[in-house]
Amino acid sequence: MSDLRTQASQRSAEGAALGDGSLGTPAVEMSQVCKYFDGGLVKALDGLTLRVERGECVAVTGPSGCGKSTMLHLIAALDSPTSGTIRVSGIDLSEERDLAGYRRGHLGLVFQLHNLLPQLSARQNVEVAMFGTGMNRHQRSARARLLLADVDLEGMESRPPTRLSGGERQRVAIARALSNEPDLLLADEPTGNLDERSVDRVLDMFRRLRSERPAMTMIIVTHDPRVAASADRTVRLRDGRVDQHSAI
Amino acid sequence: MSFAGLILHNITVRKLRLALTALAVAIGVLTVVSLGVVTHSLESSDLALLKTGQADFTIAQKGVADLLSSSIDGASVARVKLVPGVAGVTGVLIGTAKLNSDNPQFLEIGINPSQLSAFGVTVVAGSPFQAQAANQLMLGWKAAQSLGLHVGDTITLDKNVFKVVGIYSTGQSLGDTGAMLPLAWFQTYQRQPDQYTLLFVQIAPGSSVTAVQSRVDREFPQLVSIRTLQQFGRADRSLSLILAADRGATVLAVIIGAIVVMSAMTMSFIERTREFGVLSALGWTRRRVGSMIMSEALLIGLIGVAGGLALAVLAVLGIQHLPSLRGVLHPDYTVGVFGRALYTAAAMVVLGGLAPAFRAALSRPLEALRHE
Repeated sequence: MSDLRTQASQRSAEGAALGDGSLGTPAVEMSQVCKYFDGGLVKALDGLTLRVERGECVAVTGPSGCGKSTMLHLIAALDSPTSGTIRVSGIDLSEERDLAGYRRGHLGLVFQLHNLLPQLSARQNVEVAMFGTGMNRHQRSARARLLLADVDLEGMESRPPTRLSGGERQRVAIARALSNEPDLLLADEPTGNLDERSVDRVLDMFRRLRSERPAMTMIIVTHDPRVAASADRTVRLRDGRVDQHSAI
Repeated sequence: MSFAGLILHNITVRKLRLALTALAVAIGVLTVVSLGVVTHSLESSDLALLKTGQADFTIAQKGVADLLSSSIDGASVARVKLVPGVAGVTGVLIGTAKLNSDNPQFLEIGINPSQLSAFGVTVVAGSPFQAQAANQLMLGWKAAQSLGLHVGDTITLDKNVFKVVGIYSTGQSLGDTGAMLPLAWFQTYQRQPDQYTLLFVQIAPGSSVTAVQSRVDREFPQLVSIRTLQQFGRADRSLSLILAADRGATVLAVIIGAIVVMSAMTMSFIERTREFGVLSALGWTRRRVGSMIMSEALLIGLIGVAGGLALAVLAVLGIQHLPSLRGVLHPDYTVGVFGRALYTAAAMVVLGGLAPAFRAALSRPLEALRHE
């Protein structure tokens, strides 16, 4: 993965312009964040406050419905909070107008169901994340190949998702999430649907990522204690709030 | 993979959607182009007929079903000649005869030989027929060429045998593919004594064509003067109806095509809602998502145009060989016809693709990601 860092893509201008990049600024800062649904009947997040430092790997755990995924969606600006503020690398998301640029320039997203596009090959799935970053198609293609090789999928670049195992699909999704050299990697149950062997490989990949990209912040929503154990810190949510912090 | 490559990939991977949508566009283009070519060819034929006389304007009977049904009596011809500003009037009787299966409607023009020059006719071989001759005619040079006939040969029209005494040229394609016969004999043969189909009017130098035309229209309410193709409909209701049908069919083709395109695309894009959510989550702007959808729609439209044009050419070929139209319809594939095909397809695709494109571009990423 260090090779990839030296061949880092050109981050999109608008994305790069976001954030001040100063070391003292936390990677993610959530303050009194509430997210209500159905007119307040469902309180997915209810006054959540959380600070994640740069380069930190935080596992978010908690029972189903405690707001883990909602928290991730808000940080990814896929949804907006009912109240409270969210800052990512110093950017107040409520004031950010170019949210697509923010996601493209700062975030890597790994979904539980990988969300690969079925009509595209593994390589093309990685490439689509690089549209709008200023890279030409040759650069995108070369980078996608490198990323796939780095997640041990060399030789499978032209396979569509339907011809990949669950673990392989998740690794394609990780390669895609890394394509734009994100500051922040958000993973929602990345091992949720995987068999034991695939879980081991994904965990190994996260360990490698942490050692090779120490500046990259990772927030991993998980139910899996092994994933949680691999993080610097575990945050347990309950009823839409932080219930417990525990350093590993 | 380039953006264009992604678009191409997206449409080719969904072959059924591509086929159905392109077929809808193709049917629209087929309708518009084939009707357009046929009507334009008919318009051109009619215009060519008018231009054959090399007149300043033409006079026909008002409100006839088609121009060749026009009938003007000799007394009217004499009165038109007296209208101030009129320098000369050439009256002709026009008919058609079945020559053979390739020429089911061979053009026959009855004309007085003394008016050939005024009518813009040049005798290029042989000599003009005699005014009272019963078995003489002149062939247009194109007709002579296609039939392989020369001066001195004979030709049978409607069981009458004629001697070809001359070959003429009018400078107009339609006129040169027919024959000219003595007016007196032709009027008798057609049982239309002292009747004319069209009058070709020449204006005196210094006179205003428009003013003379207005005067004729005013003084002869049963007649109508024609100078331009736009005025043609005043005399020929059939052509007006065909043109109206052509325009109506174009509008219908666009509406029906747009509905089919919209339906096919909406269904396809609803299926792809999650895909658009993923792209948004990956940092694609709404504009890029919308551009991708519209580009896919336009590319499908282009494929439909190509297919529709090919089908239209085949359809026109088929129409051209219908027994009733053989030798009459000369397809004219103008830039305008192809332009109509393009804007018809563009209208269908834009109308059909815009709503799904907006829907996809404006959908919230999270809702799209949750779409089943």
